Amino acid sequence: MSGVSHEIETLFRAGAAQASRALAAWLDRPASLVVERLESLPLADAVAVLGRGDEPICGAGMQVAGGLGGVILLTAPDAVGLILADLVLGRSPGTSRAWHDLERSAVMETANIVGCRYLNPLATGLGVEDAGALIPSPPCFVRDFPATVMQAALSMQTAESDSVLLATTEFSIDGVPTRCGLVFVPDAAALGRLAAAGGRGRPA
Amino acid sequence: MTRPTDRAAAVHADAVAIGRIGVATQGMLRTFVGSCVAVALLDRRRGLAALAHVMLPASHGAATPPGKFADTAVPEMLRLLAERAGEAPACTAKLVGGARMFAFGTGTPIGEQNVAALEHALAVARIPVIARDCGGDCGRRVSVDVATGAVTVETVGHGTRTL
Repeated sequence: MSGVSHEIETLFRAGAAQASRALAAWLDRPASLVVERLESLPLADAVAVLGRGDEPICGAGMQVAGGLGGVILLTAPDAVGLILADLVLGRSPGTSRAWHDLERSAVMETANIVGCRYLNPLATGLGVEDAGALIPSPPCFVRDFPATVMQAALSMQTAESDSVLLATTEFSIDGVPTRCGLVFVPDAAALGRLAAAGGRGRPA
Repeated sequence: MTRPTDRAAAVHADAVAIGRIGVATQGMLRTFVGSCVAVALLDRRRGLAALAHVMLPASHGAATPPGKFADTAVPEMLRLLAERAGEAPACTAKLVGGARMFAFGTGTPIGEQNVAALEHALAVARIPVIARDCGGDCGRRVSVDVATGAVTVETVGHGTRTL
């Protein structure tokens, strides 16, 4: 959590707590989100947050407009993403072998539900007057190289700086870490709000 | 800026980081691009290649690192190639990337803006673009074979092609 104030860290943990409840209810089983990383990284390191390899990852992304804008991604290794889809669809884990419309839809809806519940407490804590004013885009499914997925998410922040503030979480389902999680990349306006709330200038 | 030694380049593919420029006299230069664009400048006669990973179309005066922006990457690549060659290079260009990974927002996607800005910068420098694989909605792994000038483009689920 280097370079980020305690106040900001507390807000992200509150978001993760609310998202944990939403994820558990959505999957109908014990589940939680753990805040793994909340820090400003050089671009090259930020691009590698989802992995440096060639193995594709899957997930869903949403652009959020309003008082706390940015991009929120749900990502997972391919096999983990298919298991997540199985859990959402009430199937035995390992049933799904390939990405079809139903599996994609399950992952996109998970991103929508968990991502929005994650950001709402953040927005409220940052003084966004009406957290309901957060406007998420429809989720987009993605299955691609880890580096290219991150590049797309980072393009909103990189015009201003060569470092990027990232917040990452990992899902734990039935008490087991999954390598599936959320990445939030705040936009420039949200960075300003975070900096003001942290009281120490820009969170970098 | 990536500047592999000749020996290292002969053994390893050299990874060009986001917003950076790599120059090599042998071996491979590699990068991944989504909405970013990989621009390869190839001087086959001198056996030189440069690869830039361009993120944004215009620097607006903030030109550090120069490989990050289309308008500063091309002049910097030419400067580095000339420095390596000892004279002005005679280049052709290949462009890869500029995808729209997520269908967010309105207006011209950043990937398309990047491609257009690079085409403009290359035209200003009188460098012909002899091959391209741009647009779409998928990321690409790009490998430049310095010796042959071949650019291999790999995707997830859309195969591999060589430019």
